This record gives sequence, C-alpha cells and structure tokens, in this order.
Amino acid sequence: MSSIESNNSLAIFPRSWSEKEAGRVPGNIPIWVGILSELTEFGIFFTAYFIAKFNYPEVFASGPLSLNTTIGVINTVILLASSYFMAKAMSNIRRNDYKKCERYLWYTFICACMYLSFKSYEFYWNDLQGFSTKTSEFFTVYYYMTFNHFLHVGWAACAILWVIFRLRSGAYSAKEHSGLEALAVYWHMIDLMWILIFPLLYVLR
Amino acid sequence: MKRLGKLEYYFIALITITFSNTLLGEGFDSTAFITTFVALTVMYKGLVVIDHFMELKEANKFLRLMMRTYFFIFPSLIILSSMF
Repeated sequence: MSSIESNNSLAIFPRSWSEKEAGRVPGNIPIWVGILSELTEFGIFFTAYFIAKFNYPEVFASGPLSLNTTIGVINTVILLASSYFMAKAMSNIRRNDYKKCERYLWYTFICACMYLSFKSYEFYWNDLQGFSTKTSEFFTVYYYMTFNHFLHVGWAACAILWVIFRLRSGAYSAKEHSGLEALAVYWHMIDLMWILIFPLLYVLR
Repeated sequence: MKRLGKLEYYFIALITITFSNTLLGEGFDSTAFITTFVALTVMYKGLVVIDHFMELKEANKFLRLMMRTYFFIFPSLIILSSMF
C-alpha cells in the first residue's frame, strides 16, 4: 500500500492521518477548502487596502468621514448577533432540540436579511451623496470590499434556508450534523471578515 | 433569573468593543495610540470568534493556527500602517 493512500473519500490525507491525533475538523473538509479560498480572497482585498492607503494617505484619512458610520455600527452588531445565534443553533442541535435549533437559524437568517437591507440602503445613501466607485481610491476599495462581502452574506443566507429545510427533513441530529456545522463555520468566517472590514473602512483614518 | 453563559458574556464583550472602537474613531484623530488600541481589540474580537463561536479552541491545531495567524497578521498591518 502506498503511504499516500487516502483514508477518506476525498483522497487528500495520507493513511497515517487521523482526526483523533490532528484534532476535530468542524463541519467537513470541503467547507475548509472553501474557507481557505475565501480567506485568500479577502486577504488580497486587505493587502490592496493597505497598498492604496500607503499611496493615497489623504484620501484614506478623509474617506471614512464621508461614510454613514451609524449604518456600519448597526451592521456590525447585526453580524455579531447572527454569529451568536448560529452558535446557539449549534449547541441546540447537539442536544437534539430541533425546535430551538430551527428558531436560532431563523434568527440568523433574519439578521442576514437585515444586514443586506441596511447595506443596500447604505449603497443608496452613498449614491445620494454622489459617491461612486470612481469618487476616489478610498471608495474604489470600499465598494470592492463591501460589495464582495455583501455577496457572501447573500449566498450564505440562501444556505441557511437550505439548512433549515434539511433540518426539517430530519437530516441532522446530535450525532450527525456536519452539514449544519459547515454552514456555521462559514457564517462565522463571514463575520470575521466584517470584523476586519469595519475598522479599516469606518473607524481608522 | 436565567444565568448568562460563556457565549453570552463573549457576545456582550464583542458588542462593547465595537461601540468603544466607534466612539474612539469618531471622537479622536487616528493617532498611533488609537490605531494600536483598535488593532488590538480587532485581534481580540477575531480570536474570540475563532475560539468560542467557531469552536476551534479544541479543534484541529492547523485550522486554529491558520485562523489565528490571519488575526495576528492583519491587525499588525493596521499598526504598521499608522507609522507611515
């Protein structure tokens, strides 16, 4: 037997690999491949931000003053709350409390919708002030980062609906809930990206 | 009255940090001190979400290290950017 022969269906780990030794993998391996890709993508955005800020310090010092900070704060609170609800959904599925798990998933979904609504309003508000992607280098980076993040929240919200449907179909239990957990870690990753985006665009000058 | 759990305390801490960072950003110019403070709190917020919401504290070491490294690198870049 070859030493690189896989011990799982994805064929990416050597036979010697064991989860017991390496530690638990929350969700599943494919979602972590996705999360790694997203972290790389956002890593490029953040690097672009720092390069642009270094080259255009005045524009980046005045840029945050033009934004609607109140909406930024509201969206931060909404995303943090959504992460909390998602963590509660996870703790309830582990107790086989399906009703509470579903309730918290709906709360998370409502938070996602609220985030998308506030963000859409913010884009509209920016438009009314005359700000666009071409206004300045700051706004180019701002739209580049926030619209991408907006898309991530959008499709993850659709994934919440799918997971609720699967939960109702009896696909998850205290013993087997890797699909739900995969969504949870992905959702937390989106929250983490906003935790970085918020101070970069709204707070620091 | 129902006692707050660990998750609730972390959630309150994250919200408090968000408001304090915003007040600092709104009330003061981004001096090196303010920037460093905000960067450190961002680092803390990231680590809390990674360890307690994502539940990576007891999970695979590589995944935890990868996520935590991300939240050491970018807040450090925030501090570095205040020096230029």
